[in-house]
Amino acid sequence: MILTLQTPRPLSRLPRFLPFSTNASITLNQSQPATSTSPSPPHSQILSTRHSLLSRQFSAADLLRSHLHRLNLVEPHLHSFLHLPDPSDLLAQAESLDRRIAAGEDVGPLAGVLVAVKDNICTSDMPSTGGSRILEGYRPPFDATAVKRAKGLGAIVVGKTNLDEFGMGSTTEGSAYQVTANPWDLSRVPGGSSGGSAAAVSARQCVVSLGSDTGGSVRQPASFCGVVGLKPTYGRVSRFGLMAYASSLDTVGCFGSSVADAGILLHAIAGHDRFDATSSNQDVPNFLSHFVSPSSFESKPLKGLRVGLIRETIGDGVDAGVISAIHSAASHFEELGCSVNEVSLPSFSLGLPAYYILASSESSSNLSRYDGIRYGNQVYADELDSLYGSSRANGFGSEVKMRILMGTYALSAGYYDAYYKRAQQVRTIIRNSFKEALSQNDILISPAAPSAAYKIGEKKNDPLAMYAGDIMTVNVNLAGLPALVLPCGFVEGGTAGLPIGLQMIGAAFGEEELLRVGHVFEQTLENGRFVPPIVSEDIAS
Amino acid sequence: MGSVGAMVKGASYSYAVFCGSFLGSPRLGFNIHNNKKKLLKFRSFSSKNTCCSLQPPDVSRLAKTAQISLTPNEVEEFAPKIQQVIDWFGQLQDVDLQSVEPSIRADTENNLRENAPETFEHRDAMIGAVPSYEKPYIKVPRVLSMD
Repeated sequence: MILTLQTPRPLSRLPRFLPFSTNASITLNQSQPATSTSPSPPHSQILSTRHSLLSRQFSAADLLRSHLHRLNLVEPHLHSFLHLPDPSDLLAQAESLDRRIAAGEDVGPLAGVLVAVKDNICTSDMPSTGGSRILEGYRPPFDATAVKRAKGLGAIVVGKTNLDEFGMGSTTEGSAYQVTANPWDLSRVPGGSSGGSAAAVSARQCVVSLGSDTGGSVRQPASFCGVVGLKPTYGRVSRFGLMAYASSLDTVGCFGSSVADAGILLHAIAGHDRFDATSSNQDVPNFLSHFVSPSSFESKPLKGLRVGLIRETIGDGVDAGVISAIHSAASHFEELGCSVNEVSLPSFSLGLPAYYILASSESSSNLSRYDGIRYGNQVYADELDSLYGSSRANGFGSEVKMRILMGTYALSAGYYDAYYKRAQQVRTIIRNSFKEALSQNDILISPAAPSAAYKIGEKKNDPLAMYAGDIMTVNVNLAGLPALVLPCGFVEGGTAGLPIGLQMIGAAFGEEELLRVGHVFEQTLENGRFVPPIVSEDIAS
Repeated sequence: MGSVGAMVKGASYSYAVFCGSFLGSPRLGFNIHNNKKKLLKFRSFSSKNTCCSLQPPDVSRLAKTAQISLTPNEVEEFAPKIQQVIDWFGQLQDVDLQSVEPSIRADTENNLRENAPETFEHRDAMIGAVPSYEKPYIKVPRVLSMD
């Protein structure tokens, strides 16, 4: 198994890709004047890309070629992507951007940025399968709002990434097509369900990516792959074009190799959308102003911040290495001027069964649209019910079938009170306990998962064992709160260790605070480089 | 049988313990098996118990309701796993939830748009995705009357 790759010599003919470049100042908006005395810029590939393009250091076409070369080099080992478009299409987009830059036109904040999109998010110019055979080859007639907005601001969609079928799973082993490997150790899972999106950013196959988070599907793979994962507040980002799994829990989330990158992507896609009745009218604040250079930080840049460490997440059943990493993170917060206290969330453990009841029930309803009639694969029968039955039996994988059946059971006449209603009541308790904790703390912290990435195949046949790993993440979805995961340490494993992610939870619509705090934490973390060995040395330097 | 008692109640001590040390470890599933004998107990019925009437999941019947044609092998394979998860769901029965309002979702504003129809611009693409189209009909096989 190849864990490190030598870059072939031809790469040296391409411009040396400098993702964390230069001493010059970075401005996101052309109308802001560049400051004359600025130290090295913040760790943001998007901001560096923009600077390089606008100062004509490289062209968008060269950057694209360099990224695609690396993408293709590692893809046979990772299998992050379900669909990659014709490179000449992408090149045409990059060249068009170069012409506009040369002509002095304004270009959007994501100009030239390569974005990968999870395959349960609709893209009209690429297939969108949801990781399922039932939608094999399906081309949606529209772009998801998140995709439309990113493209509108100049992003180039580099491909569709692998996932557990319809978002149901925590490893990508539930994909009907392939299993994605963790860039830190190819024998391990990248997490899920947005495993492909996490792996693609981790291995620097793209700059940022979109995923979805219903019960932790952005945050857990971010932790496993050593990247930043951001789950926004429910209603912050439109769900239009996200294939529905559990409508009261689904969110579109962002991956980046830095907090700034995840935040810039979120800023691009967030905001009210009239096509999503649950999307919020609240203004999207300018997060970008917080991504300043670390040299401008005060000595205790987070002074006064009250951090609550969730007691129930660092006890029995959590790996010692994870607990140790979280305690180190807590110490780091204290060094930055925070006060860190343990906080207890009552009924924390009830969230997991409540989540699975709600998610299975809602998914059984949402997936009834896949009937082989209006789109997707059809298995012909000479009678309608048989056509439905056969198309769905043929198109859905086992995990999806089981969850639909469990949801059907929980919603059956007479059982609503016993299951669904009780789960909704537990949701109220959990929401209230978070509200209470967040009235006494500015942010709450916990691990994102009870362990680092485990081996492919380890949890495949034991649904409850797999569900158990979601305990750190589901309550946040039940409460609809935002959460940011960023890599904070390592445990042993693979050739260079396995990353561990710290989860930071904020108040509803508190993404600005989370990003501000996360950026400071990340920029001041010692040994804070999280680049997996599979990435060529050109990039890691 | 202990397992019948557990099913009728809709909860089982082995899963209560599972959720007591709920945090996952790779060996958790294995532990449940080992501890099952010790931990599975009968629960006595109480008149306040609202779920004595819950039947265990009948996978074949559920599959019919959900319009998924399962093979007999699949029914056999899924039934114990589904049973296991439904039992695990049952622990919510033990929680005192009186006077707790159910939440449909997190707080959101009431943001309905105007009830005015709009033309969808990409009708052709939408029709293009239909597996069996004979203009202007979406073709389906005959519908048998239900028994």
